[in-house]
Amino acid sequence: MSRNLVELIRRHHSVDAPTALEVLKEAMDDHGELTDADRQRAAEVSGLPEAAVYGVSTFYDDLLAPRGTRHVRVCTGTACFAAARETTVERVGEGLGIAPGERSADGSVSLAETVCLGFCHSSPAIRVGDTVDAGPGVAERAIAGESRAAGEPEWVSLLPEPVLLRAGDWSGLRRALTELGREGLLKEVEAAEVRGRGGAGFPAGAKWAFAAKAEGAEKFIVANGDEGDPGSYIDKYLMERNPELLLEGMALAGYAVGAAHGFVLCRSEYPLSKPALDLAAASARERGLLGDGILGTDFDFDVTIIEGAGSYVVGEETALLACVQGLRGTVSARPPFPAERGVYGMPTVVNNVETLCNVPFVATAGAAAYRALSPDTDTTGSKLVCFNERFARPSVYEVPFGMTVRELCEDVAGGLRDGAQIKAVQIGGPLGGILPASLLDTRFDFEPLAAVGCMVGHGSILAFDQSTDMRDVARHLLRFGADESCGKCFPCRIGLRRAYEEFAADAPVDQARLEDLLEALELGSLCAHGGGIPAPLRSLLTHFPEELGLA
Amino acid sequence: MSRRGAGDDDEREAAMSGEPRMSTVTVDGIAVELPAGATMLDAAKAADRWVPTVCFDERQAPFGACRVCMVGVAGSPKPVPACTTLCRDGMEIETEEPTARRVARAVVELVLSELPEAPAPSTELAQVAERLEVGEPRWGGATHSVDEDLRHPYLALRHELCISCGRCVRACDEVQGAFALTATGRGFEANITAGLDAGFEDSTCVACGACADTCPTDAITEISLVRQSERERS
Repeated sequence: MSRNLVELIRRHHSVDAPTALEVLKEAMDDHGELTDADRQRAAEVSGLPEAAVYGVSTFYDDLLAPRGTRHVRVCTGTACFAAARETTVERVGEGLGIAPGERSADGSVSLAETVCLGFCHSSPAIRVGDTVDAGPGVAERAIAGESRAAGEPEWVSLLPEPVLLRAGDWSGLRRALTELGREGLLKEVEAAEVRGRGGAGFPAGAKWAFAAKAEGAEKFIVANGDEGDPGSYIDKYLMERNPELLLEGMALAGYAVGAAHGFVLCRSEYPLSKPALDLAAASARERGLLGDGILGTDFDFDVTIIEGAGSYVVGEETALLACVQGLRGTVSARPPFPAERGVYGMPTVVNNVETLCNVPFVATAGAAAYRALSPDTDTTGSKLVCFNERFARPSVYEVPFGMTVRELCEDVAGGLRDGAQIKAVQIGGPLGGILPASLLDTRFDFEPLAAVGCMVGHGSILAFDQSTDMRDVARHLLRFGADESCGKCFPCRIGLRRAYEEFAADAPVDQARLEDLLEALELGSLCAHGGGIPAPLRSLLTHFPEELGLA
Repeated sequence: MSRRGAGDDDEREAAMSGEPRMSTVTVDGIAVELPAGATMLDAAKAADRWVPTVCFDERQAPFGACRVCMVGVAGSPKPVPACTTLCRDGMEIETEEPTARRVARAVVELVLSELPEAPAPSTELAQVAERLEVGEPRWGGATHSVDEDLRHPYLALRHELCISCGRCVRACDEVQGAFALTATGRGFEANITAGLDAGFEDSTCVACGACADTCPTDAITEISLVRQSERERS
């Protein structure tokens, strides 16, 4: 991230002023495409040079596809792939008479692809305007202009007392302010060994301790709500159903490290998330739980809710910080880490939404109670998992760590629908390995999954049924990988394109060349995107080599 | 988006703790003493050992994009990029560690595969490829489509030769302060442009030439040189 651009933004900064990205998003919402006048206005408002704004305007999905009166976005996420392959976008394109990225000549309708709408429980999903429709007949309804809002299944906790599903009541913040104090809170979170739920599993307490020690005129908390993993809708549920728990977690983080402001970056693919968080924040402000002098103490903390613009890699923390500041969502080399130089160049804590939602319980009930939530393993706390539409009872479930993947798939989610059989499950998103049915007795926990080339990741459990062609899966994942590469580092930018081309071609895949490529991606990539996409390919090479068309 | 590189935790710990101090490292067995904050690339330069680079320009902050400067470190299971990895006291750096070199070659091969034609022998990219003994790329597939912007009186921008190393954008930002250039697009379509993509003249470009000077592929170069090579070809 350019320090000069960040400094320009900082000088123009006020938390209520829109970023260049927000000005461009508004222009798209207003007239469906961007003009140079829009870009010039974004430059004026943000203080960014025109060239930098131009760069932003060419990066995000939401700014690229021209929009008609009716903007139809077909989900091409992995759950929708597992349900219907690529047939949905083909059918809608034929029905509307336009290809993805096109707008009809009369401007009445436009079509785009999107990944992913978070309706993985009811795939395939299509968004028209801000209405997300899903399930059988979705394509026909979109073509006919009769899309309707799909329902979402209730979430369920398997714990004796729900932790993450319990509505945020701010008791953790009250206890922190009145009993624990900053040091006490930090110690409690460190003792609880809260591991990051976004996928990396980095200890939240250690992150907070770095930021608490870092020197800066201001500090910031950023909640990473850019849940881009196709197949995952966990943060969506948290942000939309339990927003005050997240806000309480952010306030606790702010109190622990000495930050007075936080940002939530939620995805534009979830049109209900930002309104839910804005409403919750306004309500919390009215009750004196956000703002100046919270609960009669000298602690000030408030939040700004920001919406992304369509980019998977923005879920990476340095790209996230770039997006929060309205810049291109590309990854930056670390160091510096966000704890030293984050938003406006100031010390910043970046935590996943679910991670922050764990903290109120730790503050209320203490580290020991938190550790006891998963009695069968040393891993602490509970985990939200979610299942795709292939399962009989897909939803978000709160579970202890340490159950087997089979128990989760069969007992919790009811096995597959209509008597179908699991061929394999991808756990934890597109960078997670793929577990064949023969290994379903693996425990759902950090180390046991790592031992079989998989990971907890963000917690999605996505089944492919017996009818799935694994070369198609490879091609699907690589297309996603190549499309979403931010373009910063060479291995990912070019390598994922080459890998996709290998599997998309109607020809055998050259194994020796593929091996060189996977190694360059794994060892050379700047972030987990290029570094992680090889993981599911490794799984497929190990468990389904005969289906990949290798030479 | 999830999961980070395996070495990140150590790196984070190291970056966030401890007082600044001098460190002594060895590069291919040659001991060098370096100030706090020195990178492995600084160490290699101090030891007069060659590490291949493409996106690095010593006048600019390290960028970490090309991933060609991979080196081995004793005790580390995987190679690291020398330009953005800080030295720690006692590190033993190996510039020609086989895995690191294999990754560097694979990346340079990928870069060559995105160009519609081989880079001119005088360019930095061609020279790095030659020294790493990377020949004709094994990859077919898409290449950048030819898109030449020859509107400016002095500066040519040939988008098809752009490898998104970011050196021109950083030169304009960090060295000249003109902010006339930007990265554009993403993924394989990433490229660069001036201003609002209406050419150098309709941007804040001051025609200082810093971008052309640093470009490792001559994607930005002097118009006169492009004309000259066209004449030579015809």
